[in-house]
Amino acid sequence: MEQKKTAENLSARAAKTGPGKVAWWIGAGMILMAWALAEAWLIAPTERTMGIYQRIFYVHVPGAFTGFLAFFINFIASVIYLFRRSPRADAWAVASAEVGLAFLSINLITGPIWAKPVWGIWWTWDARLTLTLVLWVMYASYLLLRHLTPAGELQPRLAAALAVFFFFDTPIDYMAIRWWRTQHPQPVILGGPNAGMAPAMWVAFWAGWAAFLVWMVVLMRLRYRQARQRQRLDELRRAAALRAS
Amino acid sequence: MSAETATPERLPASARVFARVLARDLRLELRGREALNAMLFYALLIIVIFSFAFEAQSELTIHAGGGLLWVAFLFAGLVALDRAFLREIPEACLTGLRLSPAARPAVLGGKMVSSFLLMTGIELLLLPLFAIFFNVPPGARWGAVIGVLLAGTWALASTGTFFSAMSVHTRYRALLLPLLLLPLAIPAVIAMVQSTQIFLNGGSGAGYWIELLLGFDVIFTCLGLLLADVVLEVG
Repeated sequence: MEQKKTAENLSARAAKTGPGKVAWWIGAGMILMAWALAEAWLIAPTERTMGIYQRIFYVHVPGAFTGFLAFFINFIASVIYLFRRSPRADAWAVASAEVGLAFLSINLITGPIWAKPVWGIWWTWDARLTLTLVLWVMYASYLLLRHLTPAGELQPRLAAALAVFFFFDTPIDYMAIRWWRTQHPQPVILGGPNAGMAPAMWVAFWAGWAAFLVWMVVLMRLRYRQARQRQRLDELRRAAALRAS
Repeated sequence: MSAETATPERLPASARVFARVLARDLRLELRGREALNAMLFYALLIIVIFSFAFEAQSELTIHAGGGLLWVAFLFAGLVALDRAFLREIPEACLTGLRLSPAARPAVLGGKMVSSFLLMTGIELLLLPLFAIFFNVPPGARWGAVIGVLLAGTWALASTGTFFSAMSVHTRYRALLLPLLLLPLAIPAVIAMVQSTQIFLNGGSGAGYWIELLLGFDVIFTCLGLLLADVVLEVG
């Protein structure tokens, strides 16, 4: 009886969120991405010293910013989980960590592609590169913990505690790594009077970031829904096991 | 070692829990001695392997002594940290601990200190061997090195014990512990390696590394104790 109710509930929820809403987001993402690519490849001027290679910037930096934003969402969701033990918060936590890791991977892959022609090397243990790599390693470790913990109430609890640990570790990492090394170009965004970009470059950057943010929303919504369905499935299994015993 | 009988009853309950967990863990390790011997031998082997992997000459110690020392300590320490909660598995001790009304931060704190003492003991035994095998330059400031060793070991012991409580529930327990601890410990590792390196060469001016290490110690000890309920909860 209960099982039937949960199953109905499941399909009702699936109908409510439906593919409709996500389809709109996907459409918006595709249009924005096309615009961003046109801005980055065709409209933005070619940078004077770096040449064509600089254009990877419009993917590289939005990738990092979007990844950081997703990790911040992961921290908020984890704290909410620790206080309220809400399965929804846990679903957001796993969705944001996975999506954040994907966007940070874009940043980490495009970085060396740019660095090879411009710096002459693929990788250097510079402060910002190292910190990004450390963040990537942390959230990979977070997902691994989720993967290796048996499903049930324990998994979200341990994952949330780990997320809080990693969040507080990030500023300490920042200081340690900055004292240890520093070659990355100085920030062009909020980077002082001589830093800066041509207006058309800004447009390409904002377009790229807007497209990435929309993709982040799409991926996180899909992953969130999948995580929620997973939770309901586990619930059903537990209920069935309870009845069988 | 007789904290159980000597603890005055007027101490707050959590202090008694802390002292008993600490005394019990140390007694178990000192009586069994399996982990202690294994850890010591393991760390010794790492140091020996290092001298084959890299030419063990004074120049190496001058450039990378701090790193070699801490890699050996880190891996030996992982054995102790893994055991911190593995010890509770036989006879369902873990379930007993989690069901007991004892304050969980006190239980975790007791285990943090027992891991710290075990690791420090091993490290102090290994330090002279390291000095001999790697021909540490005569001007090394050993007092300062031991100071870094204490602060660095606390950083690993406090966070590692917390993660030990976490990983004891998981599949591939022994593998997951380093996978959780190493990413978190990166800033602490940078600080302890850099400051140890400076002191081994008889230098000074590692103040900011020490501050960073102590900051790490304080932040994660507090965070671990605050979240002790989360990892030791029944469920």
